[in-house]
Amino acid sequence: MNFLRKKFYSYYLHPSIKFPHRVERREFAFVLFNEQSMHRHISFSSKDGLLNYLKTNIPAHVYYSSAYYRNPSASTMQEKKWMGADLIFDLDADHLPNAKEMNYEDSLREVKKEAIKLLSFLIDDFGFSKEEIEIYFSGSRGYHLHVSNSKVLELGSQERREIVDYITGRGLSIEEIAREKKIYKGKFVDKTIEICPQAGGWKGRIAKTLIKFFREIRNMSREKAIEELMKIESVGNKMAEDIYDALNDERMRRIEEGKLDQATAFKKIVKPLIRKLAISLHSEADEPVTADIKRLIRLPGSLHGKTGLRVTEVKIDEINEFEPLRDAVVFSDEKVKIKMLKPFRIEMMEEEFDLKGVAKVPEYLAVFLVAKGVAEAFS
Amino acid sequence: MDLFKLSYYPFLAEAKEWVREQGVSVEEILSDVIYERARRRAIERIEHAILKGTISEAPLTNEVDCAMEIFSYPIARMIAVSFENEYVLRRYALAEAKKAYERMKNEDMQFIVHIAEEFGMEIKNDAIHFSDYLRYAPTWDMKWKLVNRDLKDGYVSVAKQEIARLLQEAIRKKIYDELAYLYAPPEIKRVFYNDILRLRSKVVVRKEKKIRGDASFPDFPPCIKAIISAVKSGKNVPHVGRFTLVTFLNAVGMDEDEILKLFSKSPDFQEDKARYQIEHITGKISGTVYSIPRCSTIRTWGLCYPDERCKYVSHPLMYYRRKRK
Repeated sequence: MNFLRKKFYSYYLHPSIKFPHRVERREFAFVLFNEQSMHRHISFSSKDGLLNYLKTNIPAHVYYSSAYYRNPSASTMQEKKWMGADLIFDLDADHLPNAKEMNYEDSLREVKKEAIKLLSFLIDDFGFSKEEIEIYFSGSRGYHLHVSNSKVLELGSQERREIVDYITGRGLSIEEIAREKKIYKGKFVDKTIEICPQAGGWKGRIAKTLIKFFREIRNMSREKAIEELMKIESVGNKMAEDIYDALNDERMRRIEEGKLDQATAFKKIVKPLIRKLAISLHSEADEPVTADIKRLIRLPGSLHGKTGLRVTEVKIDEINEFEPLRDAVVFSDEKVKIKMLKPFRIEMMEEEFDLKGVAKVPEYLAVFLVAKGVAEAFS
Repeated sequence: MDLFKLSYYPFLAEAKEWVREQGVSVEEILSDVIYERARRRAIERIEHAILKGTISEAPLTNEVDCAMEIFSYPIARMIAVSFENEYVLRRYALAEAKKAYERMKNEDMQFIVHIAEEFGMEIKNDAIHFSDYLRYAPTWDMKWKLVNRDLKDGYVSVAKQEIARLLQEAIRKKIYDELAYLYAPPEIKRVFYNDILRLRSKVVVRKEKKIRGDASFPDFPPCIKAIISAVKSGKNVPHVGRFTLVTFLNAVGMDEDEILKLFSKSPDFQEDKARYQIEHITGKISGTVYSIPRCSTIRTWGLCYPDERCKYVSHPLMYYRRKRK
C-alpha cells in the first residue's frame, strides 16, 4: 500500500462525514488511487454502506449527486428518474479574474471574499435562511455553497441559470435599473439618472454603493479624489476634475436622494462597479455547477486526493476566521521524511515552510506535498 | 366566486367543482338539446383558438348564459383532444391562457392573488417568491430577467399586470398538461364530426403556408456557429444564447419546426416549452418579433468569438449579409 493510500485509510477508519440529505436517493462516484476513470452510478441504502465502501476502497476522491433520483444507481438519466436537486454554487480560485498572479494562500483568501459576497446575495436577495445554507471548503482551491430549500428543489436548469446570471450580474441592463430622466430647460436638456437606494436587488445594491462612493470621494482632498476617480477605467483627468468640482453640498444632497445629474459620468462609473459587486463564479469555458441539475459534488468530510485536505464545513458566522490550511487539516504533526521533487514554499498550520531536497516535515504537510506531486515519501 | 366570474375562468378548480355538482353525464352534455348552446360555444372556442390564437367573447347576461359558458369548456377540451394533433393542443391551451390574461388584467389585486394561490404561487405585498417567478417569467426578455428585477428577501416585486402575465404561462402549462392525460370519449368525434373535419383542413393549410428558409450555415457569424455547435452537442446553452440563436435563425428564414429540431438535443429539452419560447420570440404568439441582439450585447453576454470579418460589423446579420454577397 503506498503512502497516501495508507494515510487515507487511517482517516477513513473514523472519518467525520457530513451525510447529504436523503443519502439513498443520491448517486455516488469515486476515483480510486492510481486510476484515471471514475466509478459512477453507485448508490447506498444506508449511511453505513457508504462508510464501509470508504473503508474498503479508500478512494482518492468522493463525489455525490446534487440531484435526487428514484433509481440513483441506474446508468442512464432516463432510468435514474430525476426528482429534484439542491442548489449548489462552486467558487473556485481559478475563476478569479487575476487568478494567475496569486499564490495558493492568497487565492484562497480572495475566493473566501467571493463566498462572503455570495452569502449576502443568498440571504439578502434570495431570502434563504442561514439554516438552509451550508458552506464547505472544497479541499483544494475553493468553496462550495449548498442550498437546500424545498422551493428550489425542482427548479430546472434554465431557472437555475437565471440565478447564476443574477449573482454574476450577467445580462444586467443599466437602463432597466436606473431610469434616465430628461428635463427640458428652454434650449437645454438636463439629464438626470434616478437610482433608488431603498430598492432591493441590483438596483438597491448599485445605488447604495454609488452613494457610499461619492461620500468617500467628497471626504478626500481634491488631489486624492481625482487620483481615485481616475483609477476607474475610461475616466480621464478632465472628467475626474469635473466630477469632483461639481460635488458641492447641493449635488451631494441630490445624490443621497438618488438623483445623479452627471449622466455620462454615471455610466462610466457604474460598469466597473457592477464588476466589483458581482461574483466571479465561472470562467467562460466552465459550465457553472449551479445551473447543472445533475452535477457531482465533493462529499463533505471526505479527503481531496490532490491535497489530503478535508472537505470541511465552514460555519456561516465563523467564515471570517476560517483558515483552510489550518482548519481542513486532519493529519498529525508527527515527523515524516520526504524527498522534494522541486523546491516548494507554503504556510500551513500557521507555520512557514521553505523546502527542498530531503526534509523531515509534519505528517499533514507530507500528505499535502505527496498528494500535490511535489514530493515523494520514503517507505 | 359568482357564476359570472367562474364563466370567465372555467379552468379553475372551483369551476370544475361546479360542473361536477351539476351532475350532468357526458352522454347528456353531448346529446341533450338543453346543452346545444354549450356545444356550439365549445366549437367556437376551438375554432377561434385555431384561427385567431385566442378565445372569442360570448355575451353573458344571465346565469343560464354563464352555465353554458362554463359547460362549453370541458366539451372544448374533449374536442381539442380528438383532433389528435399536437399543434391543436398547444394552440388551444395558449388561446385559453391568453384570453384569461386579457381578463385578469382588469381584475383587482385581491382576485389575481386568489387565482395565483391556486397555482401554488407565493405572493405577499405585491411581490412573488423568486422560484415561482422563474418558473413562469419570459426571462429571455431583458425586462423580465431576474438580474434586472427588484429582488429582496426572496421576493420579486411585481405589478398586478405582471402577475397576470405570469399566470398566463401557468394556466397555459396547466391546460396543456391536463390535455395530455385527458380521455375523449369516441362519441365526441361522432357528434362534432363535421366541425372537426372542417377545422382540420384549416390546420393543415396553416402548416403548409410556411415557407422554407434558405439559411446558409457556412455564412453564419462565429458567435451563432458556436451556439449551434453547443446546442447540437447537447451542452447547456445559456438563455441569452438560445435567444440570440432563435432571433437570428428566424431572421435568416428558418421556420419554427426547423429551429425546434435543432434544440431537441438540449439536455433539458421539453418540446412544448421550447416551442412556446421559440414562437414567442418569432412573434407568432407574442405579436412582437424580437430583434437580434447587437454585437456589443452579445459581447457582454460572453458569447462573442470574433473572427477577422467581425472587425467591420456591429450586428450579426450584417456579418451574414456581407458574407453572402
